[in-house]
Amino acid sequence: MQPIIQVNQLTKAYANKKALNGISFQIHKGEIFGFLGPSGSGKTTTVKILTSQLLHTSGDVRVFGNPIAQSRHAHYLGRIGILTDNSGLYERLSIYDNLELFCKLYGIPIQRIEEVLTEVNLAAEQRTLVKQLSKGMKQRVTLARAILHKPELLFLDEPTSALDPVNRQHIHEALRKLNEAGTTIFLTTHDMEEAESLCGRIAFINGGKIEAIDTPQQLRLNHSDNTITLTTRQGRVTVERDDSGAARIAELIRKGELLAIHSNEPTLGDIFVQLTGRNLQ
Amino acid sequence: MTFSMVRFQAIVKKEWKDAVKNPQILLLAALPILFALVFEGMADNRLDIISYPALLALSMTGAFTQSTMVCEEKEKHTLRVLMLSPATVAEILLGKSLLTALLTLVVMIISMIIVGFPVYHFAYLALMLLFSLVMFLSFGTIIGLLSRTVSESSIIGLPVLLIFVMGPFFAPDLGGDALVKIVDYLPTQQFMHALSALTEDGGFNEIKWNLLNIAVWTAASLVVCLVTYNKRRFDK
Repeated sequence: MQPIIQVNQLTKAYANKKALNGISFQIHKGEIFGFLGPSGSGKTTTVKILTSQLLHTSGDVRVFGNPIAQSRHAHYLGRIGILTDNSGLYERLSIYDNLELFCKLYGIPIQRIEEVLTEVNLAAEQRTLVKQLSKGMKQRVTLARAILHKPELLFLDEPTSALDPVNRQHIHEALRKLNEAGTTIFLTTHDMEEAESLCGRIAFINGGKIEAIDTPQQLRLNHSDNTITLTTRQGRVTVERDDSGAARIAELIRKGELLAIHSNEPTLGDIFVQLTGRNLQ
Repeated sequence: MTFSMVRFQAIVKKEWKDAVKNPQILLLAALPILFALVFEGMADNRLDIISYPALLALSMTGAFTQSTMVCEEKEKHTLRVLMLSPATVAEILLGKSLLTALLTLVVMIISMIIVGFPVYHFAYLALMLLFSLVMFLSFGTIIGLLSRTVSESSIIGLPVLLIFVMGPFFAPDLGGDALVKIVDYLPTQQFMHALSALTEDGGFNEIKWNLLNIAVWTAASLVVCLVTYNKRRFDK
């Protein structure tokens, strides 16, 4: 199956710095793919290139099988949805008026407004002026606008950065539903919990380079220190994940001293620090 | 790429809803009318004073309103969102310009009626005003696209107002043949020359070079406007 996004040796250079330094990855239909990295690592630059807001310096970038340079037309833009940290909402208009404009631009029925506002938990606020909304509510309106036309491919740049845990959960549920309905999602975030909870695969990006790409589970296994922590009646003990460790566990069970077993897998944040020497924040 | 009337109308409707709640735009529409009321008693059949409110309407309500609207869209990142929707360049630019054009026309006509603007050869006058309207809207769009914030657009726009509207009035008094010669190439100065010729019962032959000058300025401003828009559609 042809990937929806195919990026090969992509670079973006500015006068005195390379924002992207030969990154390569593929995203297949139906995936939620996470781009995890700290501020300034190249996440937003990648999204801007993939959404044809920014020209790249070199490399091959294909979306829906076509070179990105040829993708800037109504047909392509009608197939993608974009959510960035800048809301881009008309502050003097109501939520409804903002979404009505985009219904007309995308040629979709007005009834869809009610559906998306229900999905982002804002149906009761649709006549409220955008300037009266909190930052989190604006972010939800922006998401509603991004999914209004049921895009095949959705780009989310830090989608829940301004949200409280309850609304973050709402957005995550909406994104999962959208993904189940067939939308491929490209998510950039520096929130490892969000990446782990939503993404099927993750790429770690740092200083314009991709350091690792895999499923969250595989990344943790690959970077595990192969030890197991045992909670016993005498306290906690760490053993190797080998024959000697197995013998020790068997012995503790036989003596009735073993209370719990925990495999020592690192968090995605720990792995990022291992790979780059930097924190995700 | 086809032009969609539905998308165009949606943008015009949005502009209307936004503009009527924007005090800055309402002020820019009211100012030329206020100036016309001030100039009404001073005109005394002087063409320069009589035509001043019309030029003010073109620059303030036309160029400044347009630059404010375009720049605010840039500042709030809404222009980027429009550009990333299926709306075409023509739909966005024409949708944004139609409301300003209509508003400017209304303000201009009211101002002209207040100062008793003489209407000789209506067709020529309408053509000159139409060209000037397109030109000032293009200036406004260019200023809006080049400015980072709405306040910056006022700072960049002020020299345009001074050069194009005040230039013809003050250049002769400031002295210097070179300055007068430069100002003579301005479309606003050519507008005054043409108006003067028309009031003296001149026809096409008397105003053809003035018309050509205004048409060339209009075409050039449109080209610069489109080039600027296309350059600004990508981030750096």
